[in-house]
Amino acid sequence: MSSQGQERSRRGARTHRASAGGRWRSWGRHHRAMSLDSAQRLLRYPLSSLLTMLAIAIALVLPAGLWLALDGARLLDAELDESATLTAYLADRVDDGEAGRIEEALSAHEGVAETRLITAAEGMAEFQQSLGLEDALARLPGNPLPASVVVTPADTSPESVRRLAGELEAVSGVEEVRLDFAWLERLRHLAELGQRVTLALAVLFGMGVLLVVGNTIRLAVENRRQEIEVVTLIGATHPFVRRPFLYSGAWYGLGGGILACGLLTLGGDWLSGPVSALAASYGASFALPALGFGGSAILLACSTLLGWLGAWIAVSRHLAQIRPR
Amino acid sequence: MIAFEHVGKRYGGRFDALAHLNFRVERGEMVFLTGHSGAGKSSLLRLIIRLERPSRGRILVAGHDIDRLHHTQVPFYRRQIGVVFQDHQLLFDRSIYHNVALPLEIQGMEPREASRRVRAALDKVGLLHRERALPIELSGGEQQRVGIARAVVNKPALLLADEPTGNLDPQLSADIMSLFEDFNRIGTTVMVASHDLALIARLRHRTLRLHEGRLVADEEAV
Repeated sequence: MSSQGQERSRRGARTHRASAGGRWRSWGRHHRAMSLDSAQRLLRYPLSSLLTMLAIAIALVLPAGLWLALDGARLLDAELDESATLTAYLADRVDDGEAGRIEEALSAHEGVAETRLITAAEGMAEFQQSLGLEDALARLPGNPLPASVVVTPADTSPESVRRLAGELEAVSGVEEVRLDFAWLERLRHLAELGQRVTLALAVLFGMGVLLVVGNTIRLAVENRRQEIEVVTLIGATHPFVRRPFLYSGAWYGLGGGILACGLLTLGGDWLSGPVSALAASYGASFALPALGFGGSAILLACSTLLGWLGAWIAVSRHLAQIRPR
Repeated sequence: MIAFEHVGKRYGGRFDALAHLNFRVERGEMVFLTGHSGAGKSSLLRLIIRLERPSRGRILVAGHDIDRLHHTQVPFYRRQIGVVFQDHQLLFDRSIYHNVALPLEIQGMEPREASRRVRAALDKVGLLHRERALPIELSGGEQQRVGIARAVVNKPALLLADEPTGNLDPQLSADIMSLFEDFNRIGTTVMVASHDLALIARLRHRTLRLHEGRLVADEEAV
């Protein structure tokens, strides 16, 4: 409105024109005011706010708990790669000195990342220790175990490991190369299944969170319809109108995330007794992993983001209806 | 300030709420818009604040075709117009002060400056002593004056009022109208839609008369 500019100068500052810095300050001021205001609105109805947050928390606990269980069972990728090793059993006649040379030859192979020699004596000691059969083995006339080299392949994909096994078997002095592929692949498939189920659940329950927040915010928008109409009439922009609702959504998400962290911790404590007893009966030590600081931060960030997104969808849909055409 | 050029507004493809409107309102003028209820007064005001868009013709406000405004520009356009509604459209969950401060809050005005303006506007309508009250504690006439304070707090170049005295007794109505005259005296263009013909006749301003969506009379002040 350029002609209005003359008017403005005639009558002095008519409208408030903020500098760029002033605009940022007022933007920040509105964000602060709205984040506080929306938090106060949530606290004004503590029970219904808590119920909404609890619904969000329950939707988050299942996928997060499953992820933790997978993590605990070492079914996540990094752990699997580590266990993809080959064992090259050397011929019976090979003595320790020659075994060292063979190990060097194996480690020089380009597909090999790492080797570890287990001499016949070491193998025997390990065997005795793991089985607790010291007495029975001690009665054997000699050491029946061959020396072996544990090989960590550089590339852990099944095909290349299989190819590497063939190549290593051709090295003289190597009797046999074993790779426990059957269980490894079974484990891999199980892990993939677990991960996919977790992902699917996370997506489904994430949508659940969107719906819970969206519905709550829809009601809030409906309750403040008159206010929205008035501020729209006197020149409020859409971001201005949306802002308090987005903050409400984010608060709901954050609250739900905090409750979910609490539930996961409680659930972990509750299950840890039977889990470690069960593990002990197998002679293993296994503890349910805790969410930890990083995990909690990720969970809270996700839940806050989901709350914000749910609010955004709900508000945008309803603003379009309220907007006077 | 305002120019209607062959403006028509048709609802539902059949009903012409407004047709063949041609008139200009100069800067600094005070104009009454009158006619029976349903004559199209509110529709005309809704066109000016771009709550509706004309089906035909052009509306120029301060030289700009407001139909060409992008929807993201509309809020900034509306900030330059003060609007007084018949039902005052106050927010009942906040104090008089915060109702009047709303347009400044929307603009992001610095709180100290905003507070100065709000108090000046409330003082102008004689309600400074009620700034902490809630709208529900005020009489109808006082609520309408709060609505006026909110419309002018921004110092708009154009002030529109839709039946501002609709539910008020004659004395209060006259008070409200003299407030509008005060704002007009300091340069604000004022357009008041009203069917209170007796009051309008006494006030001697230009009057646009609508009948069934058409402009049937444009009477200069006598």
